Amino acid sequence: MKIIYLTILAAVLGLCLWNLFSAKKPSLQATAAMVIVPLLLRLFLIN
Amino acid sequence: MSELLIFIIMVGVFAAVSFALKWPVSISMLLAAIAGALAGGEGIPIRHLVEGSFGYVDTILTISTAMIFMNAFKESGGLESLSTAVIRRFHKIPALLVILLMLVAMFPGMITGSSSAAVLTAGAVVAPILVLMGIPAAQVAAFIAMAGILGMIAPPVNVPAMIIGGGIDMPYVGFEIPLLLLTMPLAILSALWFGYRYIKKTDMKKVLAALDSTTLDKYGAFRLFSPVILVLVLMVADRAFPRYSNLGMPLIFTIGAFLAFFTGKRFNVLNAAKLAVEQALPVLGILVGVGMFIQIMTLTGVRGFIVVNALSVPPALLYLAIAVSIPLFGAVSAFGSASVLGVPFLLALLQQDQIITAAALSLICALGDFMPPTALSAIFAAQVVGIKGYGSTLKKLIIPSLVVVAWALIFIIFSKQIRGML
Amino acid sequence: MKKHHISALIFLAIALVAAGIAGASFLSMRENEYIAKGPGVSEVKMLSDWFPALAGSPGDTEVYILRSESSNDDAASMLVLGGTHPNEPAAFVAAVLLVENAQPSAGTLYVIPRANNSAFTHNDPQEGSPQRFTIKTPDGDRVFRFGSRATNPVHQWPDPDVYIHASSGQSLSGNETRNLNRGYPGKADGTLTEKVCYGITELIKKEAITITVDLHEASPEYPVNMAMVAHPNAMPLASETVIGLEMQDIAIGLEPSPVNLRGLTHRELGDFTDTLPVLMETPNASQGRLRGKTDEALVLTGIDPWYVKAEKLGRLYVPYDGNGHPIEERVGRHVAGIAELAFTWTLNNPERPLEFSGLPSYAELLDTGLGIWLKAPEQ
Repeated sequence: MKIIYLTILAAVLGLCLWNLFSAKKPSLQATAAMVIVPLLLRLFLIN
Repeated sequence: MSELLIFIIMVGVFAAVSFALKWPVSISMLLAAIAGALAGGEGIPIRHLVEGSFGYVDTILTISTAMIFMNAFKESGGLESLSTAVIRRFHKIPALLVILLMLVAMFPGMITGSSSAAVLTAGAVVAPILVLMGIPAAQVAAFIAMAGILGMIAPPVNVPAMIIGGGIDMPYVGFEIPLLLLTMPLAILSALWFGYRYIKKTDMKKVLAALDSTTLDKYGAFRLFSPVILVLVLMVADRAFPRYSNLGMPLIFTIGAFLAFFTGKRFNVLNAAKLAVEQALPVLGILVGVGMFIQIMTLTGVRGFIVVNALSVPPALLYLAIAVSIPLFGAVSAFGSASVLGVPFLLALLQQDQIITAAALSLICALGDFMPPTALSAIFAAQVVGIKGYGSTLKKLIIPSLVVVAWALIFIIFSKQIRGML
Repeated sequence: MKKHHISALIFLAIALVAAGIAGASFLSMRENEYIAKGPGVSEVKMLSDWFPALAGSPGDTEVYILRSESSNDDAASMLVLGGTHPNEPAAFVAAVLLVENAQPSAGTLYVIPRANNSAFTHNDPQEGSPQRFTIKTPDGDRVFRFGSRATNPVHQWPDPDVYIHASSGQSLSGNETRNLNRGYPGKADGTLTEKVCYGITELIKKEAITITVDLHEASPEYPVNMAMVAHPNAMPLASETVIGLEMQDIAIGLEPSPVNLRGLTHRELGDFTDTLPVLMETPNASQGRLRGKTDEALVLTGIDPWYVKAEKLGRLYVPYDGNGHPIEERVGRHVAGIAELAFTWTLNNPERPLEFSGLPSYAELLDTGLGIWLKAPEQ
C-alpha cells in the first residue's frame, strides 16, 4: 500500500511541477513551489 | 516579545499581504508565519516551516485525487448525464428531491469524515441538478457546503469527535445516535431553507424539456455512472469491512478516475489531471501555508495564549467562548480546532454527558470549514458551482451557521436530559 | 527560454533549497543517542530476538538486560518501557537512568528505553517541538532526542481514516494507528506499530515477566496525571506501592485501567499475558495544549506562565506554579515508583525477590540534579 501511495504522490508531485512551469503568474508559481516541498520530502521518505 | 504582540504581528502581516497586496492566501500565510517566527526570536526556522506543512500531506493527496476524479467524470460526460437522469426521474416531487439531494451530498462526508471529499464528489454531482431546478448559484454553493460539514459530522465517521475523544481517552463508541440527532434535523432544515423556496417557483416541465441527453442516450446510464458507483462502493467497503478493505480515499479516487476514462466520451487524461491539480493548487497552497502558520503559533506560544484566554472566560460566558473561539480557530483548520480547543472545552464541561457534549463540540468545530481564509468547504463549493470567489457563498451561510451553533449549544446545555431520553 | 520559465526555475530552486535544509534536519533525527551500559547490564539484545520479523526494521530496538547473579528461571523479573511516546521525555530519561545505574541483587530487570524506536526519528507536525534536549553531566553534555507520540509515517503510511484495534474492533481516530500504546497485544502480520507491540508481548510471554511498567508523561490538563494506572491483576501491588510512595512524600493517584479503552499496556498486557502491568504518568508541559513558547527549556523545567494561569482557572489536574515541573522531579517520580514496585513485590513475595540498588531516591535526584546519574559519551 505504501508503494501505491508513493506512486499517487509522485503523480501529484509531477502535476504540481508541470503547473509550476506552465503557470504564468508568479504568485501561482510560488504556491506550486510551496506544495512541492512536503511532497518531495515524503516521496524520498525523508519525513 | 509577548505572545499577544506576536499574534498581532502574524495576523497583521497576513491581512496586509492578503488584503492590501492581494497576494494569494498561501503566500500570505507563509509570510505571516515567517514574521511570527522572527518576532518570537526564532529567525527563519526552515525545519519548523516545512514540518508544519506535513500535517496536511494526506489531505493534499485526497483533495488532488478527488479533483482529478471529478474532472475525469465531468470530461467523460457522466456528470451532466447524471443531472439529466435524476431530474427525469424525480421532477414531480421537488421537495422530496431537495432533501434527497442533501442526503446524497452528505454521504461521502459521512463515510470519509471529510467535508472536502463530500463537496468535491457528491456536491459536484448534486450542484448542477440544483441549478437546473432554478436555485441561484450562490445558494447552491451554500447548500453543498452545508452538506459537506453536516456529512463530516454525521455518523459513522466523525474525525473531530474522534480527535476530541482521543484527547481525554474516550473511545469513539456510542456516538451514532447523538450525531444523527444533531445532524439530520439540520440537514432537512438546510435543504428546505436553501432549496425549497426557489423550486416552488420553477416549472419543472420546462427544465425537463431543456435537458440535453445525447451522451446519456449514447452510452447508457449504468456505463456512464459506473465510476461514481464504484467510488461509492469502495468507500462503503472501506468503512464496512475495514479488516479486508483499506484502500483509503486517494486510491479510491484514482481508481474511479481510471474507470471514467473508459466509460464515456474520450478525453485527454493528462490534460484533465493537470487542470484538476491547477484548480486545486490554491487550496493545497493554503493548507501548506496554514500548516506553517500553526507550527509557528505553537512554537512561539501564541497557541497557548489563545487557548488559555478562551478558557479563562467566566463560567457564564463559557458557552459563548465555545461558540466564538472554536469556529474562529477553525479558520486555520477544523481538525486543529477540535484538538486544540475542543479537548480543553470538553474537559471544562466534564459535568455534562461526555459523548453528547463531544458530539456537539465536533459540530461546532466543523463550522471552521466555513471560516476564511481556509474555508475549505465554502471554497470548494463555490469552485464546484463555478462562482468566482467564495464571499457570496459565505454570506448565505451566516444565518444557517448561527442555527447550527445554537443547536449544538442546546445539546451541550441539555446533554444530561437528552441522554435521559435516549 | 520564456520569462515565466525563468521565474519557475527560481521558485523551484528555492523549494529545493528549503527541502534540502529541512531534509537534512529531519534526517539528523535518525541517529540514535548514546546510552551507556551501566554496571548492572549483563546483556543487550534486540526486540527482534523475541520476534524475528522485526529484524532490520525501524521498529527493532535495544533491550537491556540487568540480571542478578542469583537469578534463575524462576526468579522474578520486571520490564520497564521508556519511550513508548518519545515526546514524553522523562519516561525515556528514567529508563536510560535505570540502564546506567541499576544493579540488581535479586531477579532480572529488562529495560527498553526506546520502545517506539521509529517515533524517535521525527517530530509531530504543527507541535513546534524541539528536536533535542541537553542534560549537563560532570564530564560533558548528554543529548537526548525529543521525538513524536507516534511511529514515523515514513515507516508506516498511509493511515486509515479510522483505526480499528485488531483484537477488540474498537475504533479510534486514524492517526492512532501509529500510537504504540493503542496497539497491544499487537499483531504478527500487522502494521509496524502492531508488530512492535507483538514483539513486546512475545518478550513478556517468553521471559515470563512478573511486572511490566510502562513509563509515560501527560499534559497537565489531562485528568490522569501524577498517577499510576493498574490492571485489575496488578491492583493489589499498585495500591500498596502508592501508599509507599505517599510515605516518601510523593503525591500520586491510583487509577484502575478502564475496561472499555483498548490497546493500552495496562489493559491488554494484563488480559493477554501473566504479567502485572502498571503505567505511570508525570506532568509534562511540553506536550500540552495550553503551553506557551515551546523550547528545550520548557522540556527541562516545565516552567510556563500559561499553565500557571490555567491552574488558577481550575483547568488542571496537577498543581502548577512558577517552579514548573522540572525533569529531575518527573524522572525522580518514575524511578521512585519503579523502586517502590520492586520493594512492595519483594515484601509480599520474599521467596521470589526483586531487588536492585544504585538508584537515586526521589529526594536525592531533586537535590543533585540528573547530570551526575548519567554517563558522558566515551570520547
